[in-house]
Amino acid sequence: MARAKELGVTRMAFLGDLVGYNADPSALIDRIAALVDAKQAIAVRGNHDEAIFKDYTQQMNINANAAIEWTKTQLNSAQVQFLKDLPLIIHEEQICYTHASAHHPEAWNYVTDSMSAWQCAQSSGKPYTFVGHAHEQALFYQSAVGKLIRFAPHPGDDVPVMNHRKWVSVVGSLGQPRDGNPAACFAVFEPDSQSLTFHRTPYDHFTAAEKVRRAGLPEELANRLLTGK
Amino acid sequence: MPLSSDIEAVDDIFQEGKVVDGFLLGKEVHRGGMASLFSATKAGIDVPILLKIPRVGKDQPVESLIGFETELTILRALNSPYVPKYLGAGSMATQPYIAMERVNGRPLEDFIKEGKKFSIEEVIQIGADLAQAVQSLHSQDAIHLDIKPENILLDEHGKLTLIDFGLSHHARFPDLLAEEMRKGVGSAPYVSPEQIVGIREDYRSDIFSIGVIMYELLTGELPFGNPQTMGGLRKRLWAEPFPPRGIRKEIPRWLQEVILRCLEPRAASRIQSAARLRQILLDHESLKLTERADRVEPPSFWENLTRWFQAAGYEPSPSPLPSAGNQDSPLMIAAIDTRQSDAALQLKMQVAAKNLLQAYSEGRLICVSTIASTPTYEGNQESETASGIVRGHLVQLMEWAKPLKLPPERISYHVLEALDPASRIVEFAKDNDASLILIGATHRLPNKVTPWRTSMTKIVEEASCSVHIVRT
Repeated sequence: MARAKELGVTRMAFLGDLVGYNADPSALIDRIAALVDAKQAIAVRGNHDEAIFKDYTQQMNINANAAIEWTKTQLNSAQVQFLKDLPLIIHEEQICYTHASAHHPEAWNYVTDSMSAWQCAQSSGKPYTFVGHAHEQALFYQSAVGKLIRFAPHPGDDVPVMNHRKWVSVVGSLGQPRDGNPAACFAVFEPDSQSLTFHRTPYDHFTAAEKVRRAGLPEELANRLLTGK
Repeated sequence: MPLSSDIEAVDDIFQEGKVVDGFLLGKEVHRGGMASLFSATKAGIDVPILLKIPRVGKDQPVESLIGFETELTILRALNSPYVPKYLGAGSMATQPYIAMERVNGRPLEDFIKEGKKFSIEEVIQIGADLAQAVQSLHSQDAIHLDIKPENILLDEHGKLTLIDFGLSHHARFPDLLAEEMRKGVGSAPYVSPEQIVGIREDYRSDIFSIGVIMYELLTGELPFGNPQTMGGLRKRLWAEPFPPRGIRKEIPRWLQEVILRCLEPRAASRIQSAARLRQILLDHESLKLTERADRVEPPSFWENLTRWFQAAGYEPSPSPLPSAGNQDSPLMIAAIDTRQSDAALQLKMQVAAKNLLQAYSEGRLICVSTIASTPTYEGNQESETASGIVRGHLVQLMEWAKPLKLPPERISYHVLEALDPASRIVEFAKDNDASLILIGATHRLPNKVTPWRTSMTKIVEEASCSVHIVRT
């Protein structure tokens, strides 16, 4: 968040899975709730957030389930209510925000290829759709032939994203990026100049991993923060 | 692609004397099919300014819009002394323009049109400068993809500038022209073979275009002409250009070697970087000459044919999105007539198959033979039963393929049952997405009935892939 401020970000969007893998769920929800209250941020609900108050044990792996059980013990009822009140999808004039895909957001489908990106863009109906869920950064763009093509963005390069095309941005995750680079992922969109920049920013993932370990969460989850996989 | 109707007003916004984002518009210096160019000035910018305004909106080609976006993205990212400096841009939705440095100089095209005869030294210098400019793009992960005399400016000191990035590719930005086969393929005389089949990520495409330009400046002719059809364009996938020394004999042998290497159909056979090209042009001692240097005659029909076969894998598959795998590992079908034994023809076909398979280390071969429908009754002897007949032909196919020494994963054998062998072979090739059919034909036929000859004609006519005819 400090890096985003440095970059002059005026409004933040948290694309879900606020809790589920980290060791500070209580503090994190309070902080995001405060930003949302102050209209400085918006947030949508992710599948791990939903797992706090719905049974997802069948859909998630052992580690994720263990983390959910642990997280439940850390949250007070107001914090759980905050997660319950989060919308699945937010539509603005030009932009759509959701955790998984604008195409049946409740089904938690991943946007990973041309087809899933196309469905997402069609359902969103907006030039810009921002999603999380998949941990790896990707920008899908509508090409001259109409289909959506995957592009692996280069961190720090601002890409002109003109609003007569459809763009689906998978902004990546703040932890466990799964590409072997532990740095956190986010993206900055400037509506006025119609430009989008994907970022990777290093954070203290050693401390984050240590906290996960000390909280008694599965060792595997701590390791993934360290290796970025 | 829906566009804001505000754009119709573009002609009203951009007029001499008007001010747009602080840019005071001067004269319209050029009006083309895709864009208009205005001179401009702005306080605080002390270089001459050019405003490029795309022809967008109703009734305008969609290419000009994609070209505008592409050029904006790439020009903005480039930092090169051989490219006009980017100075700003207007909103796509309301007043689209790109402001850039107005570079002195005239297009190389003008000199060519005026009929200027370039000395060998001049061409070497232009080639070396061009290679240097192109290298500065390549080193920034950009490929121009539309290098042609129109897009090369030369000032009075000979300083060279590359313009027009509307078709370019930059590895760090989404390629808006990706998978687009019809639009944006480039200019017919200068476009590389791989661009013709839709590949936009090969930087060696620019090296091919430099080769075409040097050829043109030296000889006054275009190595592959100016074809207007897709078929005509495809010729460069295999054709060998007329040797420049056959047109202008004072061209040094080494320079011919350089140019012909730039013009190789396969990117991997060209000079591998613009930097290396420049180095060779300035100091050709380091260049190892091959037979290319000595060519003075156009390639013979046979040489052309060989090259054509070598390029068979270049044929884009009939699907709109040719998969790269299919190009690298073509499937070839050898149609072998197991009913007659012509030893000379067999040998020739074996050699042809061997050569083709050597050219494509990933290529695969299917040997097929056709037989009339098998008897439905079981004969008394094994050789008369259906399975026995098929087996007999399979054994012959395996015998034929033995000298090729192919590992089992690269070869298979089929005996096709058909009353009309040609149709069956064509159908089989189509079903298997084959790239090439190899058939043999001999003039020395034992009798007037020439089933394979008519089959051959039919296969050539009907096949959806290339056909390689081996003659004795």
